[in-house]
Amino acid sequence: MTLRTPKFLRGFRAILYKEFITIIRDRTTLFFMFFPPLLQIIAFGFALDNDVKHMSMVVYNEDRTATSRQLIDAFVNTQTFRVVKEVDSLAELEAMVRQGKAYVGLDIPPDFTRKIRAGVKADVQVLIDGSSSTIALQALNTALGVALHQSIEILLGETNRRELPVEIRPQVLYNPSMRAPNFFVPGVIGTALQMATVFAAAMSIVRERERGTLENLFVSPMSRWGMMLGKLVPYLCISMTMALFLFAILRWVFFVPIQGSLPMLFLSAFLYIFALISLGLLASTKARTQNEALQATLAIMLPSIFFSGYIFPRETMPWIFYAISTVLPATYFIELMRAIILRGAGFMEFWRHLLILAAMGAALFSVCALRFKQKIG
Amino acid sequence: MIQCDNLTKRFGDFTAVDHVSFSVQRRSIFGFLGPNGSGKSTVIRMLCGILEPSDGIGRIAGHDVSAEADAIKGQLGYMSQKFSLYDELTVNENLLFYAQLYDIHGAAAKSRRDELVSLARLEPYVDRRAALLSGGWKQRLAMACALVHKPSVLFLDEPTAGIDPVARRELWDLLFELSSTGMTLFVTTHYMDEAERCSHVGYIYMSKLIVCGAPYELKTLPAVNPPGTRRLEIGCDHVTLGLRAIRPVDGVRAATVFGQTMHVLVEQALPEDSIHETLRAVGIRKVDIRTIAPSLEDVFVALTHQHAGAAS
Repeated sequence: MTLRTPKFLRGFRAILYKEFITIIRDRTTLFFMFFPPLLQIIAFGFALDNDVKHMSMVVYNEDRTATSRQLIDAFVNTQTFRVVKEVDSLAELEAMVRQGKAYVGLDIPPDFTRKIRAGVKADVQVLIDGSSSTIALQALNTALGVALHQSIEILLGETNRRELPVEIRPQVLYNPSMRAPNFFVPGVIGTALQMATVFAAAMSIVRERERGTLENLFVSPMSRWGMMLGKLVPYLCISMTMALFLFAILRWVFFVPIQGSLPMLFLSAFLYIFALISLGLLASTKARTQNEALQATLAIMLPSIFFSGYIFPRETMPWIFYAISTVLPATYFIELMRAIILRGAGFMEFWRHLLILAAMGAALFSVCALRFKQKIG
Repeated sequence: MIQCDNLTKRFGDFTAVDHVSFSVQRRSIFGFLGPNGSGKSTVIRMLCGILEPSDGIGRIAGHDVSAEADAIKGQLGYMSQKFSLYDELTVNENLLFYAQLYDIHGAAAKSRRDELVSLARLEPYVDRRAALLSGGWKQRLAMACALVHKPSVLFLDEPTAGIDPVARRELWDLLFELSSTGMTLFVTTHYMDEAERCSHVGYIYMSKLIVCGAPYELKTLPAVNPPGTRRLEIGCDHVTLGLRAIRPVDGVRAATVFGQTMHVLVEQALPEDSIHETLRAVGIRKVDIRTIAPSLEDVFVALTHQHAGAAS
């Protein structure tokens, strides 16, 4: 004889059995769970690389001296610019920038060397295509840097000082090469996991509601906790597998070294996914159709992209957005990822985030089990 | 076994089930009839404890279905109107799933599955996905799943809708088999021939229960057989033409087409000769008239007319 299942767990094993078979057989759901996050991490990982290098520059050198050549070399040596063409008129220079053939136009006037020799201010004109702000900003900063550097060298030659009076020696910690993927990819993992997990969990109950299988479950002695746990466990397994894939891509495709402890990384992912599935199940207790489930998922998804600190730093947000960010699981997960992956932080430094995620998951899960009425209408 | 006492369900302004009261004896096959949207499924859902009644009480084996839902769950089986098994699961897996849902595990679950497979004669399809079964076999599987925990009451919501006549006959054979084991069956249907097979029938129309009883009792109701009338079956070659001709005749109370014949309720005093005459006048030659007892359909038609008349 088999043991009777405790009342509150009744139906758990049945749902678990059925969900695993259904998920494995239903290739489309599996595909839509795995494919978008993988695409997202690959696409975002490459596209969000906003280090601009070797942007095209067109030069109109009216001076044609060794000094003016040195200036052009100084621009090229920053690695931000590369000369694509030297032109013979200002009009041609402007046309190249306007047509998008070059981001930057450098115009060195004919009296450039003469003015420097005479100790008078020499003007160099730099045209920057401002249609992409990231690129324009970088071009502007680099051009100003080049000008400042050149000016100081000339001044140094006049004052007989061999060294700069002040020199800053910056040391960028945790992401020494300032690579964008190191900063973005942990965030991408957070949002990629979220989209697929919340949606799949929300759909799993709504689909049963639409098909009418939920009615038969209600007639059975299944308990709501048994039902919810039976839905939770399979999706937790799948999303953890996906997290594993995403971490592998982070490590071996984007070469982001993982500084902190791997068990902590997976514990974070586990608690985050637990909270996400609970959120999805909660959405499904309300949604009547698959469409409504999709809308609910997006309603959770969008604030997570903008307010979780994934793209924009939370610290500079208006208070209302900051407040929203504090209730999003993604906020804590992304901070955990940056702490563990980039900073190699220890448990004592981030346990609060783990605790918040665990509490969110437990609270959401309880609410959805308690809210789930085994009645129709 | 099943008792409804003024069972009522309102959805906003609409009353889907209006003070319905009846009871169903243990071991009987209760046929619940009525047009679409008359409230049949709503009654079943309330009796299964998945829809809260707005008013009134439903009882299964003495337990209040809304207050003691847990007490009745082990006793009732429910086969819903929509095919609602898991398409991705095979016949075998669907049965095992339902067994586990009712807390039957391991070897007990497997032996129960084997019993149900042989009861529903599903042997050839054990490893086939439910999605790939034809209508009749899907219904058999759904029924087998509803029986997994040996319920004492089985609710079937239009089990024969949309399946072929052979499968329909076989499903009814199965129902009689179950009834003979002591199970109480509650079946909704549109088919009058199915209603004739039930030990008791109830007819619901516009949310109200119009009549309830054994078919032979219903056929002797005074409302169906008004005093001083008799019911004739008239066979002829142009039934619709004949119907149009006979309806205005003095002494004809009601007339409806019944396949190749008409069922006509006439006053005792009306001589058969005048019927012959009327039909001959419109060119119908071959006429065969006999006196008959009312069928269940006659019963429901008569009661519906009476109810509609009382309402207006």
